[in-house]
This record gives sequence, structure tokens and C-alpha cells, in this order.
Amino acid sequence: MSEVLLHAEKIDKNFGVTHAVDHVTLDFFKGEIHALIGENGSGKSTFTSCLTGIYHKDSGTFTLNGKEINAKNQVDGNYQGVAVIVQEIGTLSGLSVAENIFLGKEDEFTKFGVKNTNAMNKKAQELLDAYGFNYIKATELIDNYNFEDRKLIEIVKATHFKPQILVVDETTTALGEKGRIELFKVMKQTRDDGRCVIFISHDLDEVIEQSDNISVLRDGVFIGTVKSSDVNTDDLKKLMVGREMSNNYYRTDYDEVVSDEVVLKGENLTVPGEIDDFSIELHKGEIIGIGGLSECGMHEVGKALFGASYDREGTVTLADGTKINDIKTAIDHSIAYASKDRDNESLVINDTIQDNICLPSLEDIKRNHILHGKDEKAFAEKFAKQMSTKMEGVHQFMSALSGGNKQKVVLARWIGKDSDIIILDSPTRGIDVKVKADIYQMMDTMRKNGKSIIMISEEIPELLGMADRIIIMKDGRQNGEFKRSEDLKDTDLIANMV
Amino acid sequence: MSKFQKFKQSQVFGLLLLIFIAFVFWAFFKALAPQTFGDFNKLQTYLKTALYYAVGGCGLYFICVMGPFDMSVGANIVLSSVLAVNMSKQFGYAGLLIAPIISGVLVGLINGIVYIKLRISSLIVTAGLSLVYEALSIYATNGKEAILATNYRAFGDYPWNLVLALAAFLFCGFILKYTKIGTYTYAIGSNEVVAKNMGVNVDKYKVVAFTLCGFFVGIESILTISYGTSMTSASNLASMSRNFPPLMGTFFGLAFKKYGHPIVAIVIGEFIIELLFEGFVALGAPTTVQNIVTGIVLLAIVTMTIKPVKGAVVK
Repeated sequence: MSEVLLHAEKIDKNFGVTHAVDHVTLDFFKGEIHALIGENGSGKSTFTSCLTGIYHKDSGTFTLNGKEINAKNQVDGNYQGVAVIVQEIGTLSGLSVAENIFLGKEDEFTKFGVKNTNAMNKKAQELLDAYGFNYIKATELIDNYNFEDRKLIEIVKATHFKPQILVVDETTTALGEKGRIELFKVMKQTRDDGRCVIFISHDLDEVIEQSDNISVLRDGVFIGTVKSSDVNTDDLKKLMVGREMSNNYYRTDYDEVVSDEVVLKGENLTVPGEIDDFSIELHKGEIIGIGGLSECGMHEVGKALFGASYDREGTVTLADGTKINDIKTAIDHSIAYASKDRDNESLVINDTIQDNICLPSLEDIKRNHILHGKDEKAFAEKFAKQMSTKMEGVHQFMSALSGGNKQKVVLARWIGKDSDIIILDSPTRGIDVKVKADIYQMMDTMRKNGKSIIMISEEIPELLGMADRIIIMKDGRQNGEFKRSEDLKDTDLIANMV
Repeated sequence: MSKFQKFKQSQVFGLLLLIFIAFVFWAFFKALAPQTFGDFNKLQTYLKTALYYAVGGCGLYFICVMGPFDMSVGANIVLSSVLAVNMSKQFGYAGLLIAPIISGVLVGLINGIVYIKLRISSLIVTAGLSLVYEALSIYATNGKEAILATNYRAFGDYPWNLVLALAAFLFCGFILKYTKIGTYTYAIGSNEVVAKNMGVNVDKYKVVAFTLCGFFVGIESILTISYGTSMTSASNLASMSRNFPPLMGTFFGLAFKKYGHPIVAIVIGEFIIELLFEGFVALGAPTTVQNIVTGIVLLAIVTMTIKPVKGAVVK
């Protein structure tokens, strides 16, 4: 094996009573892509955040090339040889592309307190051109670029100075095909240069495909390292969860007859620039999967059906004739919606688990027109526990939860509301296999209890495994419909997506 | 993107739009009150007032972009102006120029430090401190009106008011474009947490923003006392009304930020507001009507310029 580049010695980090990273000792080698996997809340991101300066570790040491490093923040980390690309957006609106690339490094272009903006712009443009992103202009406001392009700019920002260690933290879930290809190119280049990539992803196939070695964390504890070429996804699942996982956690039925009763009908739905003349009929006890490439308009369909789209044309009608034109009417008529953008559109991050779960059900929790704290707590605890949410208690703030547990709170909220129609946009995005299995189980139980589900997903196995019917979208329009079948292949769906 | 769409995002378009709005208001009032509104001499007078409000607006811009707010601008103007009068008696123009700038900077610095240390809303902090600054202005004048001697009023008229204001605008533009402070002002306003993770000392730059605000308010005080020639100390938050004229220019700066020249927008914005006020005066409209219409027009202009995204969270 090649030379150790980074040695982590007994890294320890606590958040209150939660022991997020428990004395982890781990080596990363020169010229490798080293994946870090584990369930949500296993400590992967906390570990790398301690390395890159986002968090400060409680104890332990990182030694890079034989020298101890201790990053105070991300830019300080950059100067010490480590960089990170995060899952969510990491660029700042209101600044130019060049200012974003060199944020925190202005001193490189500053003399006597005066910033040489032209030199900074020129350098940034050279970098963008060198990465092949010459259509991105360094002088333009970053606001003029879409999410994907902003991620590409982030890749330039994090890698242009050739960091010894590049952390890629669940970035791929936020990227489309183009972004992934560019990211993987940069990762491979980093490895080929004799540096190291620490790659965090929940997509185990992707992990095996892209990495050389895989280390597993469970509940903040280092479990072990395996060679990617020696394992398959089931081996990894077992290592992550600590027990055998069922090989197939999707539905196994293929011959169940779906009710004829239509519970929701969307007709000729159009949202300018997003969806075009889209129609759908959802039956009682049915799971409809909607898939496609990320920009195909499918995410807007969820909003349109929930009455949350602006400038929507067409109608959404319930079985009793009620028209759904706004969110309040939707919730009042037992429709639930979990957005893909969990932190910004589904959860009140700076609030407690209790308040998040109780929010749409306050009218039901009230006694004699008054809300009682005890009742709210009992309500929240009941549904948080039903979803096996990992938490200190329902008083805990959402911001302290991992991605998977946040999603459990979103689902607990709507289970608490006992909604009959549930629209789930990317329900398992950035979520580990165990929580995924829990969510699929919950969906199956709901379906059997007569609830109807629309599941919007970019994951083809999920669509094939869970949906009674799959609608594929392309360029804002429906481009194929498939009934649940054992013979249905991912290639059938892909052919209609591209 | 079509050429027209590109043009609509350009700096030239933003500038033309501002000039067009100013022209429309001028033409409107000129048509209704041709004798009493808008000749060349009067326009010069309107610009004179707009200039000193715009200098304060530049200072407020740093704070407002970051997110907090400063309710002590009025009290700062009152305190800095009376100190300018007092110091001019002893040190002449040096006292008139230096004292209010030092006073303004100190007030801004105190605002920033208290805001950062107490970790409570900037609105509450600066409103509370306004009472202190007002009290200090009473001590400085013994409750009497401070009158600037006639031989020190050069900055109340052209060309020196213009020279001082232009110097302030250029300095503000320079800070925004050619120093880290400008970049960090926008970075903190965009996402404080990400800025912090990028090594930006958020607390420090917030204090810098308050201090810069105080600096520009200090300059506004020189122009205010030079033009108005006297200042009465304030109490019970009577200085609050002085907060709003510079703030209106800041609104324009924020709304036209996307076109890349907020300082120009602040100056022309203040001029537009001045045209409105003076237009109503020329028409003989009651002050209440002036205020209602001016407020509505300001909101309309800012709303049209920003074109808020549907569904976007506005705080």
C-alpha cells in the first residue's frame, strides 16, 4: 500500500449528549479515493467537518504529510491543504463568480488594503476556462447561474489550488448527470496526482464504482476499512447497519389490483417554464411514481398538485369535487406534501422537533380552543417514535438532526395529520439504507391502509420497486407510463427520460 | 438570452431607468406647477439636500446589506452636528470637519460593539443607544440651539458641498469595489454561516459596517449643519425622524444593487424623493398627503425594480 497522506488519531466530537464522533483513528493514503460510509447520523460528515474546519474537534489530531493540522475554518483548511465540496449550495448570492471562488482569499489580490478586482477576475476566468467551464463568466453575478453551474463553480473553488485532501460530502445527490461527470473527473485527477479524495455518499453502487477503499462508521465509531473491489452493496449494508439487511427492501407484490376509485385528478396542468399540459389520476391505495431527469419538471408536479405552484393553469380536483388551488385547501382536505428541498421548504430548521411535527395538526391537538404543551409533546413523541427518529427528545432543535432523521420528522408530521393523499418528492434523498427501508415499509403500510401516494424520484430502482404505476417525464411533459411489473427494466424507463 | 434581456440586466439600463424615473417626476410636477417647481436654480437646491441625505444613505447601505439596522442615525446627526458647531468655535474648519467624523465613527463603533456583545436585535440596541446620544447632545449644548458661525458655512453651498459629497461617494464606492470590506458586506448579507465557514470574521465586519455607517453619517452632519446652520439637541427619540431621509436613498441602493452601481442609485434615489417632496410643496399639498404619496411612490418604485420572485421568503 502507498504512503499515508492523512492520519486521523482518536478524533472525538460531542454535540451535547450526542457522541457524534467517538475516538476515530483512520489512515488515508496518497493516490486513493477513500469512501466514508455509514447510516445518517453515523458521524461521517462530522468527522470530515472537523478536518475541514467547519467544526472544531473536542480532541484528537489530524496529521497531513507528517505535520499536524488544525483548521479554524474552511479557508484556513484550504491553506493547510484540505478542501470540501458540500451537498447544499455553498456559494453566496450577491457576489460575482470570481468573488465566490476567492472568498476568504482576497489577500492574494490585495496590496495596501486595495483589492485588484481585475486581476482576481482574470485569474478566476483562467481557472474556469482550464476546467472547461468557459461559458461561466467570472465577472458576472453568481445569481445569474443555476444550481448545477453554481456547483461547478464550487468545484473550481474547492480544487483549483490542488488540495492534498479533497472531501466530497454527499455532493452527487445534488448534481445532475453533467455535474456528476465533471465531479468524478476532478476526483480522478486528484487521485492520479497522488493526492486523496474522501468521498461521502449514500449511493453504494456509486461508492463501489468510484472509490478504491471504503471505511465504515457506525454511531460515531470506526468499524473498518475494506477494498472496494472486494465487496458488494450487501456487504456494505451489513457493515453499516451491523446486521444482515434484506437483499430487497422494496415491495415484493406484483399482482395486486389497484382500486378504480380516483381520489385526485390533475388535468392539463401547466406551469410556465416547468410543466406543460400534464394530467394524472391517482387511485385509492395506489403508489404512483413520477421519474425523469432532474430538470424534467417532475418536482414542480408535486407543488402543482399541492396548490403550491405559482401561475399554475389546469385543475386539481378531489373525488368530492373540491378544487385544490392553494396549500390551505390541500391540507384541509387531507393532502400532505414533502418537498425535495427539506431544509428550506419542509422544515422549520430553527425550531424544535415537537413544533415541526405538530405544526399542521394544531387544530386537532387543541382542547377547548387552547393548546396544551403536554398534549403537543405527547403528540410529537408518539409520531417521532413511530418513525424511530434518533433524537435526545422532541424538544431538540431540527438543526441538530442528521438528514435522515430530519426526513423522518417530515414524515412523522404527515402521519400525525393522518393525511389520505401523500406527495413525497425525493423521499429518500441523501438517506442511508436503513432509514430508506423504514420509509419504504411505511409507504407500503400506508398503501395497504388505503392511503394514496405520489412518489417523485430520481432513483430508478425506487420507482421500479415501490410504484404501482410509473410516469416518466421529459421537458415538462409526460413521456411514457408503465404499469408495475417484474419484467419492467430500468432501461425501459431511461429510454423515455432522455 | 436575447440582446434585450441582456441589456435589461446591464448597468446602463439601471442608470437609464433611474434617470427616466427622475425625469418623469420632474415633468409631472413641472406640468402642474410650472412657475413654482423645477427650474434650474430650484433643481440645484433639491440636489443640495439630496446630496447630504445620500451621504448618510451610503453609510446605512453597509448595514442594511448585511441585515441589521441602525435607528441611531438621527441621534448621531444631532450629536455630531452640535459637536461640529462647538469644535468649529475653537478650531475653525478643522474642528468642523474632524469633530463630527470622530463623533460619528465613535457612535458607529459603539453601536457595533454593543450589538455584537449583547447579541440582541440591532433595532433595539440602536434605538436604546439613541437616547444616550440624544442626552449627550443636550450636555454638549446645555439645551440651547447650536448655531454655526457664518464664516464656517462653506460646506452648506456649492461647490464645497459637492466636493465633500463626491469625495464621500467615491470613497464608499471604492470600499465596496476595491476592498475586502465590500466583498464581505455582500457575503455576510447573503449567508452569514457560509461566510463564517469561509473564514470571514462576521462579528468584526459587522462592527466595521456600523463604524462605516457612523463615518458617513459624520460627513452628513457636516453638510447638514453647514446647510441648515443650526441644530437643536434632541430628547425622547425626537431625532428618529432624521433616520428616514437617508434610509430612502438606501432603499434605492438595495433595489438597484443588481445593476452594479448602488451609490449612483442612492444619489439619484434621494434626488427623486426630493423632487417628490418639493413637487408637493409647489402644489401646496398638505404635509400628510405629501407623506402618503411619497411613501406609496417609494414602495412602488422599489417593488417594480426588485420584481420579487413569487414564493420567495421576504423578511
